[in-house]
Amino acid sequence: MSTDNRVLILVVERNPAVQRLERYFLEHAGYSVEFTNDGLSALERARELKPAILVAEILVPALDGLSLCRAIKGDAATSHILVLIFSHLHAEDRAREAGADAFLIKPLNEELLIETVQKLVSQVSTEKGTR
Amino acid sequence: MTQKVSGGSTGLDEVLMGGIPANTITILMGAPGSGKTILAEQIAFHNASPETPVLYLTTLAEPLEKFIAHGHSYSFFDASKVGVSVFYEDLGYMIRETGIQTLAERVTDLLVKYRPKLLFIDSFKALHELLTSETERRTVIYDLATALSAYQCTSFLIGEYAPGMVTELPEFAIADVVLNMMRHITNVREQRFLRVEKIRGSDSIPGMHAFVIRADGIKIFPRILTPRFAPTYRPKVERVNTGIKGLDDMVAEGFWRGSTTLIAGPSGSGKTIMALHFIRQGALQDEPSLYLGFQENPMQMARIMHNLGWDTEALISAGKLELMYRSPVEMQLDQVAAELFGRIRAGKVKRVAIDALDDLERSSVDPQRFADFIYALIQWFAVENVTCMQTVELSHLFAVSGTNVTQEQVSNMCDNLVVLGFKTEPNSELRRSVRILKTRGSAHDEREHTLEISGRGATVTKAKAK
Repeated sequence: MSTDNRVLILVVERNPAVQRLERYFLEHAGYSVEFTNDGLSALERARELKPAILVAEILVPALDGLSLCRAIKGDAATSHILVLIFSHLHAEDRAREAGADAFLIKPLNEELLIETVQKLVSQVSTEKGTR
Repeated sequence: MTQKVSGGSTGLDEVLMGGIPANTITILMGAPGSGKTILAEQIAFHNASPETPVLYLTTLAEPLEKFIAHGHSYSFFDASKVGVSVFYEDLGYMIRETGIQTLAERVTDLLVKYRPKLLFIDSFKALHELLTSETERRTVIYDLATALSAYQCTSFLIGEYAPGMVTELPEFAIADVVLNMMRHITNVREQRFLRVEKIRGSDSIPGMHAFVIRADGIKIFPRILTPRFAPTYRPKVERVNTGIKGLDDMVAEGFWRGSTTLIAGPSGSGKTIMALHFIRQGALQDEPSLYLGFQENPMQMARIMHNLGWDTEALISAGKLELMYRSPVEMQLDQVAAELFGRIRAGKVKRVAIDALDDLERSSVDPQRFADFIYALIQWFAVENVTCMQTVELSHLFAVSGTNVTQEQVSNMCDNLVVLGFKTEPNSELRRSVRILKTRGSAHDEREHTLEISGRGATVTKAKAK
């Protein structure tokens, strides 16, 4: 959760055009969004910010999106973060194997992105409720 | 399976094997007046709906008002869609305010604002005038490509690009589809063609496809290709009565259904009257028949048939006979083929007479293309089981020999070859002659006979056996 009570989403994406679109659509849907440009800094920021959702492109520098997903899911401090792999690469099976909770193929479709994020958010709320 | 966006015309969709691959970048290129903007707006309005918003961005070539006014002259332009599902914006104005370096950002802003499924930038080529260096050109185009690829949207960049620019300008490297619209002008004649220069992730029909611009927009006629499957004749021989007394008897098995017969002869030798006999006989036998002519209009043809004592009007009214006239001046080969096969596939035609190939050949921009066209046409007739008679004019007045009597080897392609001519009798009288030079899959009488033409039509009179 961000400081203003909006659900926080951390996005790792190096394409500025995609970043602009993601920021616009996610903020417009009521979420707080933070960006990083590479996988390694995304891992650090995830440990620090504890976002509800991590949206990751596979093809990012330093640490690829799939390795990032494995690292997040393998660390007890971050394993609760839900991971959405959002990539140009058709790699849904690999994303699931890496522990991803959802997968979307690019280019960006606003309705699909928001719908998928909403589903993940409701999953977060359910998990919190059952704890 | 790749999702496709309709090209706004069934012909273009056929050329592109179903349409333009969705979420790609297409360049519409061509000289001024080649029809790029018309095609772009046709695609825009054809696809636009509240679920499929379209964003049309004008730049520096023409003011927005001119686009709207120009669009109104075509029936596809639906004014009720403007501002509802088709949105126009002046990108040129925005770029002048913030600089060409911000092109990708401005386009992204507009993507966010309108959320279009289709995006047009017209003219994209004109934006090059604002780019001052090669580095800037590459950077700006790359950023734009990145922005367009980020969002689920099918984009069209329109421009007056010359063929040489395809290998030079960076937008051609980022484009997934390149459609080239061309004008072919010879003397006073003008023909238009579209060619797919590049397509990623899909197939297309290669070559130049004729198109016309009409009040309802652009109509594309996909180039006729040889059928991918071989025609099959029924094992049982089916004779076709040509209606020319004495001619059918010269062929042992008769002219086969689905075959093409070429009638070659000099002017005045009786080619047209034989073609008319052929289609009239078809109509009388309940086989819908079509005469495709390029010299006499339907009224003149009907008069000729009336003078032969034939009740043509009754056959035309009953839908058994059609006299189709096309001006050889304005005609395009593939347009004729499209119209012909449209009727054939609708089951409206079983016999065709084409009178004459010389007129068709004159409308071809390339002799090889003409030969390929005729070959494909004959093969398709066989596939569709349509029996055809074609005529061609020969310069020789008297008898010819050999089976290749035409320049583009059309006579070799036809199943049957009948040569007409003149012969001089001992009393110096000139008489018409007829000789069958070739019949595919059947024996024939090789002798020369007399072709008599009277007020009741043509008749072959056999030469007495020696």
